[in-house]
Amino acid sequence: MYKNGKYQETDKMSDLICENYPMVLVMSRFGIALGFGEKNIGEVCRQNKVDTCTFLTVVNFLVEEQHSPSPVENINQCLSLETLMSYLHNAHDYFLNFRLPHIRRKLVEAIEDCPKDVAFAITRFFDEYAGEVHKHMMYEEKNVFPYVRGLLGGRKDPKYNISIFMKRHDQIEMKIVELKNILIKYYPGAGTNLLNSVLFDIFATESDLASHNHVEDYLFVPAIMALEKQIS
Amino acid sequence: MGTTLTIAIAEYSEIIRQGLEQILKRLPDFKIQCVIIAAHEQLHDTLSTWKPDLLVINPAFPGSFPLEQLRETTGCAQMKCAALIYAATDAHLLRAYDEQIHIYDTPDEIAHKLERMHLKETLPVDQEDEQQTLSTREKEIVVCVVKGMTNREIAEQLFLSTHTVITHRRNIARKLQIHSPSGLTIYAIVNKLVELSDIQ
Repeated sequence: MYKNGKYQETDKMSDLICENYPMVLVMSRFGIALGFGEKNIGEVCRQNKVDTCTFLTVVNFLVEEQHSPSPVENINQCLSLETLMSYLHNAHDYFLNFRLPHIRRKLVEAIEDCPKDVAFAITRFFDEYAGEVHKHMMYEEKNVFPYVRGLLGGRKDPKYNISIFMKRHDQIEMKIVELKNILIKYYPGAGTNLLNSVLFDIFATESDLASHNHVEDYLFVPAIMALEKQIS
Repeated sequence: MGTTLTIAIAEYSEIIRQGLEQILKRLPDFKIQCVIIAAHEQLHDTLSTWKPDLLVINPAFPGSFPLEQLRETTGCAQMKCAALIYAATDAHLLRAYDEQIHIYDTPDEIAHKLERMHLKETLPVDQEDEQQTLSTREKEIVVCVVKGMTNREIAEQLFLSTHTVITHRRNIARKLQIHSPSGLTIYAIVNKLVELSDIQ
């Protein structure tokens, strides 16, 4: 049971989004588009063939997480790991194929006027960072998700368990914090609106990545652990 | 810059739990992540999973005694334990805890108690060194790191022990808040410690 989750399926989808604008990203990662009119959350989910329980679990977790990220104590039995994985996969796709390349384009344009060597070093830093995020997320796509799909099919890979993932799952947002610090403290060129906009993007990405990690650590992993217990 | 701590709160009352959590999270100089334990059945599992630096626990919570055994079975040998006290409690019972947090404690008092438990990193830094600028030696080391040298190579070139190099690198990271070599490269170029041609 998600006990007293803030949002329920009878609440209007538009209220959820307007009250918590980061949820616009969550919604789209579940494959739900804008333009849902006055429909409530349950109706919009069913129309888009999204498991309502999983959607609400993630949404309520993220809304409450803003106050204090902590592991979900009793994971709702109706949570669909398949839906959650497709959500996580879409989030990965968003970061790797949209968000990071988008920031990179803006960043390169914003630092065009600063000395060439500085621009080079900043771009290189960014590319290294993007490479790390890529590695981090691909590990999940290539190792964790197939493992979980096996579990869902009743097969337990004897060589793997989710605690291996827990141990190596690092805070991927830490290094982007470093880029932010460097730009704020040491950027030598003139400040521009574009550079400020890049900074805002970085701030937003930092918290988005942190939330993404929290969903994995506090929702996804506990759900898998419960499934492992069931199977063994 | 704050000390990062994971603190588990084992307490039945949600009002007390959330109140304590809010206070902990707002303490300046600390970056605290709270893990909530609302029922004693979760005590062992949660501690084993999270390995917190500190457990703040209501002494009425079953399953926590003896504390030594709790530390051992959950693999949290280093974990400190503080009793969360509502009312007059037998002093004998409280002796086992590293500290006591009273519900009338002010945030300042709580911060002080966290420090007393040595949870706060006390970096061996002399005060004059606290400025953010790097010393000449540190700048030399930045240049070496940026050029891709290993700690051993740096030690050989500058006639230092690797241990000293590591200490310098830690201080550099602390002063600049930059931890990665590619981050240091940006710093080094902006501050004209290296030319791009040196590192390509």
